[in-house]
Amino acid sequence: MEQNEKANRAIHDGEEVQKIWSWGAGTDGQLGTGKLEDELLPQLLHLPSLTSSGPISLLACGGAHVIALSSGGRVLTWGRGTSGQLGHGEMVNSLYPMPVTSLQDYFITHVSAGWSHSGFVSDSGCLFTCGDGSFGQLGHGEYRSHCSPVRVSYFLNEHVKQMACGMRHSLVLLEGSQVYAFGSGKRGQLGISMNRIKSVSLPEITHGLEDVKIISIAASGDHSAALSVDGHLYNWGRGFSGSPDSHFPQFSSSSFMFTRAALGWNHALALTGDAEVFMLGGNYHGVLGDLEKMRPANQLPDSREAILEKVAGLDGVKILQIAAGAEHSAVVTENGEIKTWGWGEHGQLGLGNICDQTSPQAVSLSGNTNRAASFKVYCGSGFTFAIMHPCDLS
Amino acid sequence: MSYDDVEIEDMEWNEELQAYTYPCPCGDLFQITEDELRLGEEIARCPSCSLYITVVYNIEDFLGDSDQKNKNLDPPKQQPVAVA
Repeated sequence: MEQNEKANRAIHDGEEVQKIWSWGAGTDGQLGTGKLEDELLPQLLHLPSLTSSGPISLLACGGAHVIALSSGGRVLTWGRGTSGQLGHGEMVNSLYPMPVTSLQDYFITHVSAGWSHSGFVSDSGCLFTCGDGSFGQLGHGEYRSHCSPVRVSYFLNEHVKQMACGMRHSLVLLEGSQVYAFGSGKRGQLGISMNRIKSVSLPEITHGLEDVKIISIAASGDHSAALSVDGHLYNWGRGFSGSPDSHFPQFSSSSFMFTRAALGWNHALALTGDAEVFMLGGNYHGVLGDLEKMRPANQLPDSREAILEKVAGLDGVKILQIAAGAEHSAVVTENGEIKTWGWGEHGQLGLGNICDQTSPQAVSLSGNTNRAASFKVYCGSGFTFAIMHPCDLS
Repeated sequence: MSYDDVEIEDMEWNEELQAYTYPCPCGDLFQITEDELRLGEEIARCPSCSLYITVVYNIEDFLGDSDQKNKNLDPPKQQPVAVA
């Protein structure tokens, strides 16, 4: 009974105050607007099927699909489903959020969306994957795609904490802090061998992090990243700004303590403990519409390593959260403002136009009147979601 | 200017589109048909946006018998690579 009341209250809260906006590329239904169109401005969503599961605690946005995790451990997905990435048991798109029913016996605590595959982690440490498996990125020891989540049996006796899905590869973080990788490895993004590896379909341990306590992982495009408990950022995979690929995790030489990392296809964002944002590969960011404007790569003179640069134009305002799309970026400021920059051709910056931006610009959310709210922002390849939480859910 | 250079072996054959494809950052796919490759076309375009990639390939692989393509250009799922 008590649980029911709690659930009802959660539903009530969800309907009353949690608000969700989306904008950007929408041709596969990923915006949840019920339309197959791009949106240049934030659209306030009305999604009873989403809010009836209770407040959303986390979104994972992939190539053209979205995974929503409710605070009650339920999972809903929508957008492109042609590779089975929605986990609905069929390979079709979904215009509206639909529950992943085969996970209903589990309390899901973490989700990740790649280009066309998906990962789900339960509170008991089970890992499930579905979607495109043609590069081995589902970790099942084969190259087949699956349209319903399948448990990754390699980790049957391990407690999985997180999964991070890239374009064609996956990373897994275990409770004991080990990092595993599988899928495409051509650019070194698996971190498992000096040799150029085409792909592996079973998890292999990423080398060079064995003695490091890793607390979070990230993957996007052909990039991989991990953050250690002492704030060090490790990158591997495709090189940034034309620097060579790294086949093993490289420790970013910097005196900053990082607390969060977000990866795009050609850039990385990192948030410091002092709430400042740094970027790798920034010379490419916000000039895609006119690549001739690209600034020369900023590299350390003695190595060919790309360097972390502080994101200009935030004027000392503290940043609470960062998110990266394939070619755009979004942050939430301490003032509850969402700022975006990067590639804008599909409206993914939410500024009402299709212009690129090289520095962060404020996004105006229609219908946002709650000043006490906290915001979260999430980026898919070419689209963006924002959630207004009535109060801090954590 | 090209968004990226992509080797043909990293592109996927899409039966429905009858084209080799590669993910575009907008969410759609860069596409190039066999006929285009046979004509020496190097640019794969995305139908949804202004971006394009340069396809790196050997034109001889596409000239002559069309069955030839299956010899060298299978999608990765048919060529799993075992790693020691």
